Amino acid sequence: MTDTLLKMCDITKSFPGVLALDAVDLEVERGEIHGLVGENGAGKSTIIKVLAGVYKADGGSVDIDGETLADVTPRSVHDAGVRFIHQELHLVQHFTVTESVFMGQEEQTLLGLSARAMRAKAEAFFETALGTQLSGKTLIRDLGIAERKLVQIARALIDAKAKLVVFDEPTAPLTSGETDKLFAAIRKLKEQGIAMIYVSHYLAEITDICDRVTVLRNGQNAGRFDDVFDNSAPAMISAMVGREIDELFPTTEHSAAAPRLEIQSLCADAFNDVSLTVHRHEIVGIAGLVGSGREDLIDTIYGLKAPSSGTLKIDGIAQRFRAPSEAVAAGIALVPRDRRHDGLVLDMSVSDNVNLAALDSVSRWTLENRRASHAVATEMSETLDIRPRNIAATARLLSGGNQQKVVLGRWLNKGADIFILDEPTVGVDVGAKVEIYQHIENLAKDGVSVLVSSSDPGELIGLCDRILVMLRGKIVAEVSTTDLGVDTLVALTTGGAVQEVAV
Amino acid sequence: MTQPMSQRLLGVFPIIVFACLFAYLGVQSTTFLSLDTLELITKQAVPTVIVSLGLATVVIAGGDDVVAGGIDLSIPATAIICAAIIADQLTNQGASLPFAMILAFGAAAIIGAINAFLVVGLRMTPLLATLSMSVAIVGITKVITSSRRIGVTDETIVFIRDGTIFGIAASVVMTTVLVLVFYHALHRTRWGMNMQATGGSRDAAEISGILTRRFVVQSFLIAAFAGWIASVFVLARGSGSSPGTEENMLLEMVLATFLGAAFSPRRVVTLWGAVLGAVVVSALSVGFISIGVNVFWTGCIKGALILLVVASASVTTKGRS
Repeated sequence: MTDTLLKMCDITKSFPGVLALDAVDLEVERGEIHGLVGENGAGKSTIIKVLAGVYKADGGSVDIDGETLADVTPRSVHDAGVRFIHQELHLVQHFTVTESVFMGQEEQTLLGLSARAMRAKAEAFFETALGTQLSGKTLIRDLGIAERKLVQIARALIDAKAKLVVFDEPTAPLTSGETDKLFAAIRKLKEQGIAMIYVSHYLAEITDICDRVTVLRNGQNAGRFDDVFDNSAPAMISAMVGREIDELFPTTEHSAAAPRLEIQSLCADAFNDVSLTVHRHEIVGIAGLVGSGREDLIDTIYGLKAPSSGTLKIDGIAQRFRAPSEAVAAGIALVPRDRRHDGLVLDMSVSDNVNLAALDSVSRWTLENRRASHAVATEMSETLDIRPRNIAATARLLSGGNQQKVVLGRWLNKGADIFILDEPTVGVDVGAKVEIYQHIENLAKDGVSVLVSSSDPGELIGLCDRILVMLRGKIVAEVSTTDLGVDTLVALTTGGAVQEVAV
Repeated sequence: MTQPMSQRLLGVFPIIVFACLFAYLGVQSTTFLSLDTLELITKQAVPTVIVSLGLATVVIAGGDDVVAGGIDLSIPATAIICAAIIADQLTNQGASLPFAMILAFGAAAIIGAINAFLVVGLRMTPLLATLSMSVAIVGITKVITSSRRIGVTDETIVFIRDGTIFGIAASVVMTTVLVLVFYHALHRTRWGMNMQATGGSRDAAEISGILTRRFVVQSFLIAAFAGWIASVFVLARGSGSSPGTEENMLLEMVLATFLGAAFSPRRVVTLWGAVLGAVVVSALSVGFISIGVNVFWTGCIKGALILLVVASASVTTKGRS
């Protein structure tokens, strides 16, 4: 099998200040399933978008079926037989399966739509091409997620002109049973000679289904695996990671004391049977891919979403938060992942933002004492080194790192004793990162319990005492960060580790 | 993934309320359940049915979110201004019916184009854009008619009011044909499916290569067209143009269209639903009169019913996502 279908050569793409792709090559043969892996920001989605014609490459060439595409546009790529299965489903809830499959490509005669013919075609396609049975009359909203994914695939392939199908994280919202269903369909497509590019963070899936794998790292090729075995994951991880933890992190000088936040068998839609304990003086990390249930767990602890069962105790007392305000009253502070929307009131000043959660302490008879609140804000701005040192500045105008410090300052001011940090350094420059890490460390030293949820394995290892790893809604491992390598953690989060690591 | 029982019950709740209302009317009034009443109801419903076709088209193309989705509140006003133009031309200017109709068509086309420009070009909220348009159009209508009633005695208009085709009221037959044409276009053609996709999920439609903006523009043009057609039946029903007709029509149109969603098996706004809704609303008005309910209370009850229908729709959508 040396019949090359897609050949992308020397693809270079830069965005202002970032070289996203640096002379990347990607070759896919006819009838193979080709895995594309790399960490966040490695350039996976950028090269897919170049192939889709969404981004125009600065340099390089795209050959499909031996012919160089003069102009890579969504149309020319589509005409060449490349189809994309996006991560989002993009389906109309109240449409039937048939209507969804034929959306934008309906068949009609002079008398109107050929509804019966389309339905027969759609059902036949599910049976022969995807190896499953699905009634064309079922409404999308009555289908499971895996079936909706199959509808999305059918829509892309029903015209029978597809040669190459690109799957972008197709299994992210699926449970493992549903994944098997999708894989059966993908294998069936392979039998029909269709080539596929499979982009995923789940290495266990990659080794399971892919024939060859291309690894990207920092916008460059970091290796290609021409033979993939069940035990290839560790080698892929070292190719993906290829770096040591930076010296950004303060040394940990605290030892855990009495338990403060205790969660037992917490269940909700996105996660199942989660138990964890955070002690005083302790920083606990939660690792997991997008869709692992990590974000929902944080939201549930904070009272944004209701758990279906399980208990949450603070200092041994059972709590039930119906809204975030109750969590705040119980001494929990959340530094949210989307600080621009959920963390700050962007059009208010730094001073107002810092005082937002603790207005009672600077108010008398419900009126805010401006002098007192400004004094608090000035002090906080000194402690945290918020730049510019102007508490009247609008929060919108601050850099990402300084905005995050304002959010931190609000909770320091409030005097919360459990800090939940969700992606604390996304969009924060290196200098501010170091400062934020030091503040988190100081919090723990002062007796605060800290729970950090992050998609950056290096950050978790450097910052935390212990890390809990979530995979598909369950905690699959609990590891101490002493002597923990990034590759071990990546292996755990991506399901690429065969054995669980003991504490 | 199927909806729980409580959700389903909530979706059909408006139907249950309406069924109870009709049962009550049937018991209270001996004449309510008769063929004569049915004819009266369908004849009265005609203008509402036609403007509801327009609103249903806009909602189908724009999505059923009352604020962010598609809505056109200016259709009744469009019908009223077209009726005023035609009546003024026929009675005061001595023009022929075809000429008066063409003039009114021009006015409707301009209104539709402005609505489309406000919503698609300037990205205004349809609710606000069309509400302002409605107020402005009613104002211009008052200028044309000096807020006075203009009677019409044109033969064709009188035929539409009193004539019959195969023993059935002419206006009802004509409207039935119009409904069938709309149904075929929106539910049985590729163009219609693409319009439904646009309203169902803008992103999904875009990804499938559908030019969604074009469909939204077309929906507002079709709505204005429906207003123009409705004007002829407004003239026939009232034997001329009278000021203030648009208020009640607006109320009935919104009620009929969203009530229609409760009738549809998928719980979304459809043409059949809107037509059925319009007939049901007209039946209520006739029923209230037949048992002698105070006219002022009728408005209150209709308002409460709109609230009920829209609230149950928003609760069911919430439960779905």
